[in-house]
Amino acid sequence: MRKILLIIQREYSSRVRKKSFWILSIIVPVLMAALYAVPIIMASKSGEDSLVLVVDDTGIFNDAFRSSNHITYKMAPSVAYAQRMVRDSGSADAVLYIPARETTIPNDAFLYYQDKVPSSELQSDISSQLQNRIRNIILQDVHGISEEEFESINAQSLKLHTKSLETGKQAFVEIKTVVGLVFGMVIFFVIFMFGASVMRGVAEEKTSRIVEVIVSSVKPFQLMMGKVVGIGLVGLTQFILWLLLSMVGMLGVRATNPTLFEQAESRQTISEIATKGEDLMEQTSEPVSELMQGLVAIDFSLIIPMFLIYFLLGYFFYATLFAAVGSLVDSDSDGQQFTLPLTLPLMLVMLLMPAIIKAPSGDLAMALSLIPFTSPVAMMIRLPFGVPIWQAILSIALLALSFPINTWIAARIYRRGILSYGRRLTYKDLLGFLKTKN
Amino acid sequence: MLDIQNITKRYGTHTAIDKVNITVPRGTVFGLLGPNGAGKSTLIRIVNQIISADEGTVLFDGEPLSPRHTAQIGYLPEERGLYRKMKVGEQAMYLAQLKGLSTREAESRLHWWFDHLDIEQWWNRKVEELSKGMQQKVQFVTTVLHEPKLLIFDEPFSGFDPLNAELLKNEILRLRDEGATVVLSTHNMASVEEICDTFALINHSHVVLQGNVREVRQRFACGLWHIEAETSADIALPANCQIRNKQYNSNLWQADIDIAESDINTLIAAILPQCKLRSVNQILPSMNDIFIKAISE
Repeated sequence: MRKILLIIQREYSSRVRKKSFWILSIIVPVLMAALYAVPIIMASKSGEDSLVLVVDDTGIFNDAFRSSNHITYKMAPSVAYAQRMVRDSGSADAVLYIPARETTIPNDAFLYYQDKVPSSELQSDISSQLQNRIRNIILQDVHGISEEEFESINAQSLKLHTKSLETGKQAFVEIKTVVGLVFGMVIFFVIFMFGASVMRGVAEEKTSRIVEVIVSSVKPFQLMMGKVVGIGLVGLTQFILWLLLSMVGMLGVRATNPTLFEQAESRQTISEIATKGEDLMEQTSEPVSELMQGLVAIDFSLIIPMFLIYFLLGYFFYATLFAAVGSLVDSDSDGQQFTLPLTLPLMLVMLLMPAIIKAPSGDLAMALSLIPFTSPVAMMIRLPFGVPIWQAILSIALLALSFPINTWIAARIYRRGILSYGRRLTYKDLLGFLKTKN
Repeated sequence: MLDIQNITKRYGTHTAIDKVNITVPRGTVFGLLGPNGAGKSTLIRIVNQIISADEGTVLFDGEPLSPRHTAQIGYLPEERGLYRKMKVGEQAMYLAQLKGLSTREAESRLHWWFDHLDIEQWWNRKVEELSKGMQQKVQFVTTVLHEPKLLIFDEPFSGFDPLNAELLKNEILRLRDEGATVVLSTHNMASVEEICDTFALINHSHVVLQGNVREVRQRFACGLWHIEAETSADIALPANCQIRNKQYNSNLWQADIDIAESDINTLIAAILPQCKLRSVNQILPSMNDIFIKAISE
């Protein structure tokens, strides 16, 4: 026992002392804080003022453009003149040119710019104004609907509030997608990173030839498990650091604009009170504050502990197999053939991410979140959308139960692999390793 | 000290060692010899409990080998190395503690050895900064640090320069004199003659020759004698004796003589009237000759 502790200690301290560990410990929280800051930045962004010169050869758009807070439309006599204004004097940002066609209704319009690429906001404003005008004309000419009538029809809008029957919370599907993707990617990344670290560590011991010295003092199994546990603790430390530093970062972000978060949270509580049917009148909310609401609506108190469980179980599931693969590597370039079958299931789940997101409770998502090879990533993607409790328990149980099986297989390969020098191992050798006793 | 009884180890269809019996006497240096692939490393790994034998038993100090004996065995494998990124002192401490030494004990003993081998200044250097020979010294220290009763060196001299090889040889002999039993696996036959008391020769998974180095050499002696004598004329030999190699200058006559089936006394009696004998020595075959002869038979 003392020996395995010594091994764990060495694996742990040699990694925690590395610069790369601390760099990674800081980068991730910075990214998390940035993610948190996006809504604020979007909300506080004043928007750039743009001036668009409109050259209308069709003559049907005269005065049809409505300027808004940030966007000003001005009619210009000719394209050449307008382009000169943009190019030479810089007094306008873009030129919108609608060439005349034989039919009354134009099909194309052109937006010219000089230095600044027109923002998507500007582009969508222009295209919707163009569309509206065209619809207006058609309705007016063909169906005799006046401009005022059209305006009033157009002003009608209906907002869809998707809410859970149980909690009355908004669904916020987009936010959940983002959160699911982020946590899915992160767990994929950490399992892979720490698993590969185990593999490299084992391969290093083998290629540097220290392994035989060590296994004359401890059992190969102890060495393998010491390494797996030691690196797992490094992962756990990293996770705790990420969590703490992210919280500090998020609180910091919050402190820069407290009112925004308070608003979002209070709106959330109001909409929670108003459940089932008799909904409270809500003001038309801006997309940004909806994003904020979504973010505060996500149940991180469930997602973070689940992340920890899936990280630890997923790591142990893969780490022992990575250790076995590491023991088969003889030179640095070697061993690719053995890593592939390990990385394949994780890659597959990454490729199937869109399908899981599309139907988070579908058969595919459910199957992937139960199979131990894919469940850590698949379950983290599904989690924000809500997962039946029996599935979560079954998934965790399957993952936990497959760990001893993997360890048994890995240990058999490992103890032979580490002492096989000087020749390329094949899958046939692996079978031999599995069959022989010791 | 070490009793290997009927040990057999198979890998699939290949039998690495087959019913091997070896006895290593306490307080001696034992040479484990044999060509590459003969099964020496397999046997060594079994004694180190890195792999287990399919059949047979190993007795360590009269007891069946068990995990608690690892603390009493020091092993320097043929394929040896150190963690490249670790500091020398830290690494030596780690290996010593794995062998069961307490932190304090490991530290004081390490400082003694580092001082003894004049490598104290490397304590805080990283292994990758050291030359191969320096690394070998560190490995030697970590092998013997826990004062094991049984030391196993697999090709210890490979990678050592002549100066350090000499140093290593003397350290091995010193450890033996202090009571340790040493098993030495090597291709270096000169070193076997110099430092091994007994040996076993393994070929094709079997022990083909085993015994005391001196006795075996005596046994393999083939009637060759070196004779030095003072004489003014050439010496005439009895009919059944043949001269292999002769030098004669300034009254000193030297020759290697094959006496074949004859007796050394007969030879001496024949040449004594012709000269003044200075020395008569039996020429023993080198371990190298014995090795080659035993393997090719």
